[in-house]
Amino acid sequence: MRNHLKRSVRPVLATVVGAAAVASAIAASATAKTTAHAAASTTITLLSGVGPQSLDPSLDYTTQGAEINWEVYTGLDTYAHKSGLAGTKLIPALATGLPVISNGGKTYTVTLRKGLKFSNGDPVVASDFTFTMERSLSIPWGGASTFLTPYVVGAAAYADHKAKTISGVKTDNATGKIVIHLTQAYGPFDNVLAFPMLGLQDPKTVTVPFKVQATNPPAGVGPFKVTNITPGVSFDVVPNKYWKALPGIPAAKYTFEEKINSNVEANALSVLNNSADIFDWADTIPGSLLPQIKAKAASRYKLINLGGSVYYFFLNQSEAPFNNQLAREAVAAGINEAALSREGSGTLAPACFFLPPGIPGHPSAKCPYSWGTGNLKLAQKLLKESGQANVPITVYSELRSPRLQWCTTYAQELKAIGFKHVTLKTNADQTYFTTIGESKKLHPQTGFADWNEDFPNPVDFYGTQLEGSSITPTNNLNFGQVNNAHVNQQIAKLGTTPTTDLGKVVKQWQALDEYVAAHVNILPFGYQTFPFFTSSRIKVNYTNDIYGWDLLGISLK
Amino acid sequence: MARFVIRRLITMVLMLIVISFVTFLLFIVALPGGNPAALIAGRLATPAEVHLISVRYGFDKPIWVQYVRTMANLFDGSAYSYQEGFNVMGAITRGAPATLSLSIGAGVFWLLSSIGLGTLAAVRSGRYTDRVLTVLSMVGVSMPPFLLGAVLIYYVSYKAGVLPINGYISFTVSPWQWFRHLIGPWITLSVLFIGFYSRVLRGSILDAQGEDYVRTARAKGLSERRVLVRHILRMSLLPIISLWGLDIAQVIGGGAILTESVWGLHGIGQLAFNAIGAFDTVTLLAIVLLTAICVVVMSALVDILYAVLDPRIRLG
Repeated sequence: MRNHLKRSVRPVLATVVGAAAVASAIAASATAKTTAHAAASTTITLLSGVGPQSLDPSLDYTTQGAEINWEVYTGLDTYAHKSGLAGTKLIPALATGLPVISNGGKTYTVTLRKGLKFSNGDPVVASDFTFTMERSLSIPWGGASTFLTPYVVGAAAYADHKAKTISGVKTDNATGKIVIHLTQAYGPFDNVLAFPMLGLQDPKTVTVPFKVQATNPPAGVGPFKVTNITPGVSFDVVPNKYWKALPGIPAAKYTFEEKINSNVEANALSVLNNSADIFDWADTIPGSLLPQIKAKAASRYKLINLGGSVYYFFLNQSEAPFNNQLAREAVAAGINEAALSREGSGTLAPACFFLPPGIPGHPSAKCPYSWGTGNLKLAQKLLKESGQANVPITVYSELRSPRLQWCTTYAQELKAIGFKHVTLKTNADQTYFTTIGESKKLHPQTGFADWNEDFPNPVDFYGTQLEGSSITPTNNLNFGQVNNAHVNQQIAKLGTTPTTDLGKVVKQWQALDEYVAAHVNILPFGYQTFPFFTSSRIKVNYTNDIYGWDLLGISLK
Repeated sequence: MARFVIRRLITMVLMLIVISFVTFLLFIVALPGGNPAALIAGRLATPAEVHLISVRYGFDKPIWVQYVRTMANLFDGSAYSYQEGFNVMGAITRGAPATLSLSIGAGVFWLLSSIGLGTLAAVRSGRYTDRVLTVLSMVGVSMPPFLLGAVLIYYVSYKAGVLPINGYISFTVSPWQWFRHLIGPWITLSVLFIGFYSRVLRGSILDAQGEDYVRTARAKGLSERRVLVRHILRMSLLPIISLWGLDIAQVIGGGAILTESVWGLHGIGQLAFNAIGAFDTVTLLAIVLLTAICVVVMSALVDILYAVLDPRIRLG
């Protein structure tokens, strides 16, 4: 039987093996034309592990979206196209100059440049600014309740459908004058004007009633425009032919294709073998590939500290054990930042001050309490003095790597310091911050948190996370429930200083940041450094500390 | 046959209602972390803003109203992703070619391969070839697609440069590039199924060898090839066909999440992956429903195929 079947089965086997052989031969004969294809193309390919939330600027509130949209929806002012701290300086863009601030910081006046056109050729008028703000409030944009409704007169009423327009914004289409009235002085409002969601949108290309235009976003004014959008898959960023170079903002020359692929390892390999051009800075290169990249492509890979992001553990100061200063000092001395950095592929720069290096006000002083050195002896001594070792602690963490690893290590370190009952509690990434934002119901004691700058102004960091008045029962961002009279007073005083005048108060911000470190109101453990990795045909003339890649600064060699 | 089809259709509708309602409850009502409006509003939203979103999306309405409205939106094609604002049916339609290319190609590959290897293992039962195939099957079954995909990408695509590293090219753009971009995903998706199916088929063939109808076929003087192909294999394929129908339905319905994500195909599976990552409940609901429809339809087709393969089975 077996022998007979053996003969019978031969044709089947021969077919399967033959098919496999043919497939292999065909595949082998292809010999990876991709590299040659990429080299011949004049389109620059950018690979991103996570795409923008949306390319509609009135919805998007992600770094991936802002990276593109700041040059598609250029604001009345914008940031200089330069690397490093120079790139955090505000420059006039669609307006003839930076805003004129009057009325005790409560009135901002600008004049629109003449001859501006949207990316479809339509002329731009001043009232488009009001229209754009109304749309961003209606969608609503994720930062609207932080940066617009509390400050712009009439914005809250418009957002609540109690008014038909925003009463605090006055425009004159004949002169191009735009006047914005604020409810109170808000120093970084000139930064708010640089947000892509306030970059002007063409009303003729907008659907009314307002809804998100995921695949056909409104025409904007900027060096680029976005086309061929397949949400979550890819889109093209092409030069806008109606954009005329402005001082400090050149015209675009190259077309970019952004492809979104969650397999960042494959993305890194594609850039390494030159079949794609740019690895998105917001992704992390897997540690297993780093040695190979450093060996084969050292000249086109570097880690850059963009200077505007901080990772920290919050310490809830409204209850034990972290309402005790000595217990907080013990944790500061006991955590080992080098160990935490290793968990993140070595991409963390040491930190103890809340303000990152790229933000004016970052102190130059030394860190207190042997901060972050893993000095267990000192930590154990301080904890003993505090008498808080028996208080049970729950450490909250997201699930994604390396955040979970950081929190696991942190929990172990708390045990090593002497806390006797430490529990790690994880939460889905998508609901993590709303969960720990339940300040009254959950009472989270400690856990992971982070902050990436919206703009280079210290109040962006302090206003939401360390000001007493920002503590809310739900969606709380002041996770440590810090309500310190001195801190509150300083934020109120310094926060009204316009960004363009920050130089005058930078020492006071430094003093405040040192005060916060000395009181361990918050426990920063690292500033993130980001990978800038390109193919060998790309020349990076400049990047941007706020938005990462600056497409205008990228060219073919 | 008519009764069979009607019965199947009624079952399908009832199943879809149950599945959609359970999924809806899981993702909208019992959402871990709380209010879906808060999730949509984002990290910086105030309670007032969360309330406005709740009203706008109808989260303040009774559950059944929310359910009916969501289902109506899904079926008339006007459902939009809460998080990213894209049209859900549009996204599924855009992802369908990649998913169909992956699932049909891989399905044919794993079915033919497992028939070949399973038959060989049965014919060579107890010999060296059988042992080698047993070990290989176990390796295949134990190999997670994300690992196999990563290994293929590194060694075959990156190191050897034989295949593209990732991505999908439409058949209409370039049939050749379509084929090249799918070889890796087909292998990645198929290996697990080949290992499993070939073991099932081997056992089935060995069981069938002692059946009366096989003895009768031989007694009639049929050649061994004919006995194998027309009698043993035909009956032994029944469990394989049943499995294949359900598996292919699940893959078409977005079940190849890992394979699609590793190879960056941007099919329905990857859409599901992204939707899970973003807690995009409407998109997830649509994909779950699609999977359910595929499974129900395919299981009906499998039942019909059963009757074709085994004359003793009658539908009705």
